[in-house]
Amino acid sequence: MNPLPRFAATTLAAIATAIASLVIAAPAYASKDVVFAVASTFTTTDPYDANDTLSQAMAKSFYEGLFGFDKDMKLIPVLAESYTVSPDGLTYTIKLRHGVRFQDGTDFNAEAVKVNFDRVTNPDNKLKRYGLYKIIAKTEVVDEYTARVTLKEPFSAFINDLAHPSGVMISPAALKKWGSKDIAFHPVGTGPFKFVEWRQPDYLKVEKFDGYWRKGYPKVDSITWKPVVDNNSRAALMQTGEAQFTFPVPYELAQVLKAKTDLELVAAPSIVLRYLSMNTLQKPFDDVRVREAIAYAINKEALAKVAFSGYAVPADGVVPDAVEYSVKLGPWPYDVAKAKKLLAEAGYPNGFETELWSAYNYSTAQKVAQFLQQQLQQIGIRTKITMLEAGQRVQKVESWPDPKTAPVRLYYVGWSSSTGEADWALRPLLASESWPPTLFNTAYYRNDQVDTDIKGALATTDKTEKAKLYRDAQERIWKDAPWAPLVTEELLSAHNRRLTGVYVMPDASFNFTDIDLR
Amino acid sequence: MTRYVLSRLAGLVPTLFLIGVLVFLFVHLLPGDPARLAAGPDATPETVALVRKDLGLDRTIPQQFVRFVDGVLHWNFGRSLSTKRPVAEEIAERFMPTFWLTVWSMAWSVTFGMAIGVASAVWRNRWPDRIGMTLAVSGISFPAFALGMVLMQVFAVDLGWVPAVGNDDWRGYILPSLTLGAAVAAIMARFTRSSFVDILGEDFVRTARAKGLDERHVVIKHAMRNALIPVVTMMGLQFGFLLGGSIVVEKVFNWPGLGRLLVDAVDMRDYPVIQALVLLFSLEFIAINLVVDVLYGLINPAIRFR
Amino acid sequence: MNATLAPAIDAAAAEHVRTPWSEFWRKFRRQKVALVAAVFVALLVVVAVAAPWIVPYDAENYFDYDALNAPPSLAHFFGVDSLGRDIFSRILMGARISLAAGFISVAVGAVIGTLLGLLSGYYEGWTDRIVMRICDVLFAFPGILLAIGIVAILGGGMANVIAAVAIFSVPTFARLVRGNTLALKHLTYIEAARSLGASDRTILLRHVLPGTISAVVVYFSLRIGTSIITAASLSFLGMGAQPPTPEWGAMLDAARSDMLTAPHEAIVPALAIFLTVLAFNLLGDGLRDALDPKIERR
Repeated sequence: MNPLPRFAATTLAAIATAIASLVIAAPAYASKDVVFAVASTFTTTDPYDANDTLSQAMAKSFYEGLFGFDKDMKLIPVLAESYTVSPDGLTYTIKLRHGVRFQDGTDFNAEAVKVNFDRVTNPDNKLKRYGLYKIIAKTEVVDEYTARVTLKEPFSAFINDLAHPSGVMISPAALKKWGSKDIAFHPVGTGPFKFVEWRQPDYLKVEKFDGYWRKGYPKVDSITWKPVVDNNSRAALMQTGEAQFTFPVPYELAQVLKAKTDLELVAAPSIVLRYLSMNTLQKPFDDVRVREAIAYAINKEALAKVAFSGYAVPADGVVPDAVEYSVKLGPWPYDVAKAKKLLAEAGYPNGFETELWSAYNYSTAQKVAQFLQQQLQQIGIRTKITMLEAGQRVQKVESWPDPKTAPVRLYYVGWSSSTGEADWALRPLLASESWPPTLFNTAYYRNDQVDTDIKGALATTDKTEKAKLYRDAQERIWKDAPWAPLVTEELLSAHNRRLTGVYVMPDASFNFTDIDLR
Repeated sequence: MTRYVLSRLAGLVPTLFLIGVLVFLFVHLLPGDPARLAAGPDATPETVALVRKDLGLDRTIPQQFVRFVDGVLHWNFGRSLSTKRPVAEEIAERFMPTFWLTVWSMAWSVTFGMAIGVASAVWRNRWPDRIGMTLAVSGISFPAFALGMVLMQVFAVDLGWVPAVGNDDWRGYILPSLTLGAAVAAIMARFTRSSFVDILGEDFVRTARAKGLDERHVVIKHAMRNALIPVVTMMGLQFGFLLGGSIVVEKVFNWPGLGRLLVDAVDMRDYPVIQALVLLFSLEFIAINLVVDVLYGLINPAIRFR
Repeated sequence: MNATLAPAIDAAAAEHVRTPWSEFWRKFRRQKVALVAAVFVALLVVVAVAAPWIVPYDAENYFDYDALNAPPSLAHFFGVDSLGRDIFSRILMGARISLAAGFISVAVGAVIGTLLGLLSGYYEGWTDRIVMRICDVLFAFPGILLAIGIVAILGGGMANVIAAVAIFSVPTFARLVRGNTLALKHLTYIEAARSLGASDRTILLRHVLPGTISAVVVYFSLRIGTSIITAASLSFLGMGAQPPTPEWGAMLDAARSDMLTAPHEAIVPALAIFLTVLAFNLLGDGLRDALDPKIERR
């Protein structure tokens, strides 16, 4: 019997055919196609219904907002030209850019602004970003290129809300055609690329929009967004040339990618603050000396080295530098002797036992949690680590109904203010109205003056007054030490040297207005 | 035989119903509020309430159950909580990549594994056996993610022979199916060997040998049929396992299959997707087991079904 | 090799000693590889028990940030991990956890599974259907989902990992034993025992069970490795051993991110798992050859 040779021959023939078809299928001209390898799958293409930075960053391919942030997180007008605020801080009049078209050929005008804001502020549409825009009372069309937005109460961070990556302009014609739900599968905006195809787990592809209002842009023909979940696989993809840009690069692999001559590794500053919150309602963390002792016991420099391979800087305040109105107060010094002394004063000369939870269970968080355990062990605080998985986190921390019985003690977590200003960096984390299950004040911190400051800053449009109030709040928080501030991490991305104009912004979103491939 | 198959098929309905009830209870026992998870890390309470309403999670548990059963009966599995797409569509898209990966992995590993197993049994305690079993033992004791990463590093990154990820053409299947099949090949090899060694020691095989039949005839004609029973059982089980999607391999190779879908769904507490996937896996398993049982009868007519 | 000598001695010895245990030992000690594996397993057990007293450093609390990721040296036989801990000490302590997890979970699964398989294969009919339905249901629940459920309901930690792994060992053993029982019960010697009026219990325990034992032992040995790897996968999903527990699988998983820059961190636990599984497999083969009455040397 010899079926083997025949089988081998057939296989060889099949392989030959496959190779031939590959060669024929190769493009006849050199189009500029770029592949982005990103860390997770997209939840939606509708920024108003997205809660993850990545989906919103991807949506910038086809959508633009009235305002936006440049690559350094500075507020810039995009589809708006300018705006004015009424003295009572309630009415915003926005002048729009002329000559902008949606990808379906319709014109962008004040009516489009109204349609979009009316959509998100209508609770019946059940959009995830409703909370950000519910402050809007009504939107009116003044003329073709002027829109007027009236707020329910003064809210000085409103333009920041509009610059948030969710605040985009969707074509009213497309919205009408597909409806508020299905627009997520047929996005039409004014952005540089138009939507081609979304194969859910595999990729999302966009191609150049010829009628883009910024002349001469975009400079590449297409972008393929490829979610690659595994860190090492994503790094491999960069090395094989299957992708031209990737984010995030795991800290441990920085050295490896740095050594490749055709790749460039970029470490960008971020507004992601990592901290250890302490439940101030519970013993022994109700004693400020214990909280200070913990803050003193942690070597933040060493933490940056051990867990972040050096790509992090010790936090020097409760709000990261790049956020507006942040105040530099630290870093909190590393002083084991002082920590021991404070603990002894508080009545715990031999330390105590407690729980240490991490809000995440990926590898960097595992390193941080174990590092913290090692550090606290030095002053006699013995901790039991639990790496919470998303569902457990929601159950045990975020939606725990009764503050008095909340099981959270030491809690390692991070935060970035998605609107780029101080209000969203302080209020959800440290105002007493934000105790879980409302928001994320996991320290159950309450300081009435801080509450008043935060509220006052939101109501005023006077910048110096605002700065004063935010400074006062941050100084008080630093003194009360509900957290041990740890580090501000850096955002590591890598791109092929032929690729230019792609930046990771401090909030971990992307800016690729100037993208080009040489 | 026909009656047996029919009665098994009839038994399928209550089993599936039981699984449906169990999985429904199960997902609702999981800690974590899906509305909160779907609404995201910086959602306000009213946003969470909106999302809960949107996802239909504001109804009571019995109402949700009736809705679920009613949906399943009408072949409607609802919409994913996280992507809002119909679950059926979501699964259909992921099924084929997993299916083909399974088929290719099984194809090479069963062929290879059985060949090693038979060779090892025939030349027991001699060098083909030693080499074969060393390979098999290595295959089973190396964790899949480590193997996948090594293969990717060597063949995709260093040598550049195949793409690191992607299932666009046949080359993308090579590394994942090698990784996925390695353990199966090892199990098949060991099982085939053990089963053959048993059978080769049986009286009827000795008789055949004593009759002066040549060894190849003995192995193929007499031993094969009886030795195949446990091998077929194991093959069915492995096939079912792989069809459920290998979470680790799909993650390492970024495979757009069912395993990753399940992990994502569990992470996000995506009830409809978990429920539909578990029902699908159950159906696959029961079908495979039925086929295996029927094969028993075909291979060895001594087994009768009542 | 004294392979030529041994048969003669054994043949002589066999004249005098006929107890099953000595029969087993007679066959087992002839298998050099299996003996080595048995010694290795025994050594592992000793290390696992004695670990707290023989480790050079504290496995969890000792650290040295100046030697992060340092390769093996005289001070640290297996090098230092990414948190400055001594890998050698962690591997020794990990032997305890990994062995216990692997062994207990499989033992529980095998006992329950074998019983169910025997009953269902022997009686067929309704018993068979019910048992196989239970297996179908257990199989249908993907392992990870089951594990998450168990951990969610019972709480985290190693004990629950063991429970989860045990539960998804049950149906595999059940089906395996059932398949063998189906084949065995039609063999002449069982038919003969039945016609001589032996009770079902006697037939099952004295005649059918020994016939299935070789398959169970082989699968048992394979399954221990699988269980150690399954426990690792659970650690990987945040459902298993919590850091800094030096469970081998968790160590391997943690080393994943440092695999390219400090390969020893992954190689050491991978080798530990590999050698342990290898030893159990070889031991299993040896046991099998010694236990199975049908096998004589060829």
